[in-house]
Amino acid sequence: MTDNFLKVKNISKSYPSKDGKSFVTIYENVNFSIEKGEFICLIGHSGCGKSTILNNLAGLDLVSGGSIKMLNEEVKKTSLDRGVIFQNHSILPWLTVLKNVTMAIACRFKDMSKADIESRAIYFLKMVNLEDHIYKKPSELSGGMKQRVGIARAFAIEPSLLLMDEPFGALDALTRGKLQDKLVEICDKTKQTTFMITHDIDEAILLSDKILLMSDGPEARVAEMVIVDIPKPRNRAEIVNHPAYYVVRNYLVDFLVNQSSKISKKLKEGTLSDSDFPIEVDPLKLKYDLENNIINP
Amino acid sequence: MSETKKSILLSIGLLFVFIIIGELITGDGARNKQNMTEYEKLMGMGETQAHVPGPIEVFKLAVKELSNPFYDNGPNDKGIGTQLFFSILRVMAGYFLSVIIAIPIGFLIGMSPLFYKALQPYIQILKPISPLAWMPLALFVIKDSIMSSIFVIFICSIWPMLINTAFGVMSVKKDFLNVGKTLEMSNVKMAFTIILPAALPTIFTGLRISMGISWLVIVAAEMLVGGTGIGYYVWNEWNNLDLASVVFSILMIGIVGMFLDSMISFISKYFNYQE
Repeated sequence: MTDNFLKVKNISKSYPSKDGKSFVTIYENVNFSIEKGEFICLIGHSGCGKSTILNNLAGLDLVSGGSIKMLNEEVKKTSLDRGVIFQNHSILPWLTVLKNVTMAIACRFKDMSKADIESRAIYFLKMVNLEDHIYKKPSELSGGMKQRVGIARAFAIEPSLLLMDEPFGALDALTRGKLQDKLVEICDKTKQTTFMITHDIDEAILLSDKILLMSDGPEARVAEMVIVDIPKPRNRAEIVNHPAYYVVRNYLVDFLVNQSSKISKKLKEGTLSDSDFPIEVDPLKLKYDLENNIINP
Repeated sequence: MSETKKSILLSIGLLFVFIIIGELITGDGARNKQNMTEYEKLMGMGETQAHVPGPIEVFKLAVKELSNPFYDNGPNDKGIGTQLFFSILRVMAGYFLSVIIAIPIGFLIGMSPLFYKALQPYIQILKPISPLAWMPLALFVIKDSIMSSIFVIFICSIWPMLINTAFGVMSVKKDFLNVGKTLEMSNVKMAFTIILPAALPTIFTGLRISMGISWLVIVAAEMLVGGTGIGYYVWNEWNNLDLASVVFSILMIGIVGMFLDSMISFISKYFNYQE
């Protein structure tokens, strides 16, 4: 078996409870892997530990148990190989748009000349259509523009793995749609390996190769891995016409509404076991199999 | 009419009201205006009772003093400019001394919870001490009145700077720190490229408070140690019973204080940021 690009094995995260006597487990027995060039989304209810997993992958926070290996190397601290786009954009407000990006590039490419750094920054700012705003301070930008600076900054350092924590969560629907299109376009071009957290099911289907589904916390699990079998490049307007789209969508909604809360109960009852996780599902195939009585529900 | 114009007009109107009220309630020192004989002057037989000077009298004195502010006719008679210059010099010396010490220590306290907890009791005890209470000890140890007044300025301006720096460093958003971490910044680089610029507006608040307190304290300190300075000048004119000079120097203290404050707030504009 070939080595995975990123391998997450049996990780768990817990912290001491307030009285210090017991431990609260956020999630445990989480396993998944990411291959090079893949786009993975993680969906789950608020508070189930999605962001914690992302921080663990980034190295901002360490796991309590298990291992995360990227290119066979244990993730113990943050690295320029793992870029992060934060939910609240985290653009440094005292720097101009351009300086925010050049600062990151200067950290990544230490031998690059000043002129090269600047032209690289401008190239990536053009990619997100911010070339007219490079000398502005973040306070002069709208929320969507700030998030685009964050995207430019993250792509400009060419991380091996890009981690996104609900990057469009705080934006209005129109802006979000535009940025999703931009992201589809950039990811098609760069083949960026990406791990993204989102609440938005449509966003996940549009962007991902695989969608990881998380059960409710505490003691959450990454319970299922849904294959999104829709050819790329995708397009927001056309994707809805693909036969797999609504099948996948309905499956995801059903999981979030009906299934995710029952998983910890099923684990206790023994109808599900940790060794099954994550269950790989191809909703389109599942539907076909069910309709043709190949398997029984 | 715009809001600004209205406010300027109102200000000027109020000034006239103050001048008129001032003139009405103060005496004019009528006896002094009479022609006195040489004998009367020698015997100090001007007024039997000193009077609070009215605005016009103070204004006349101000014009006279400010037209030649830097004269020096010996220890008891120096121009207002000279006196203010000495005071500002002392404030600056003590103030910059405490900048040099307070900001690095404030950084240390803000970055390390260990130092924060360890130094907290000392700061809490030293902070409420009136700076003038240090004066006898300073005079005895330093054995120099000018250096002692500089020390008093130092000890009064260090606390707001220290506390604000520590607070600013402590409250740097975790997201900004995470940006630095994901860019693999070293601790030193992080301190200078993320923490310092993020904390600067709070640090400047401390610098501004400290400057205000320093200017308050220098007057009192100079009244104690004497020699030169605006504080000494006020007290000296009180001893001379020259109340017009007292009122004039009170106004000058206010004007210089305003100037010092706006200087800091002007500089801080370059380091402020909006989120």
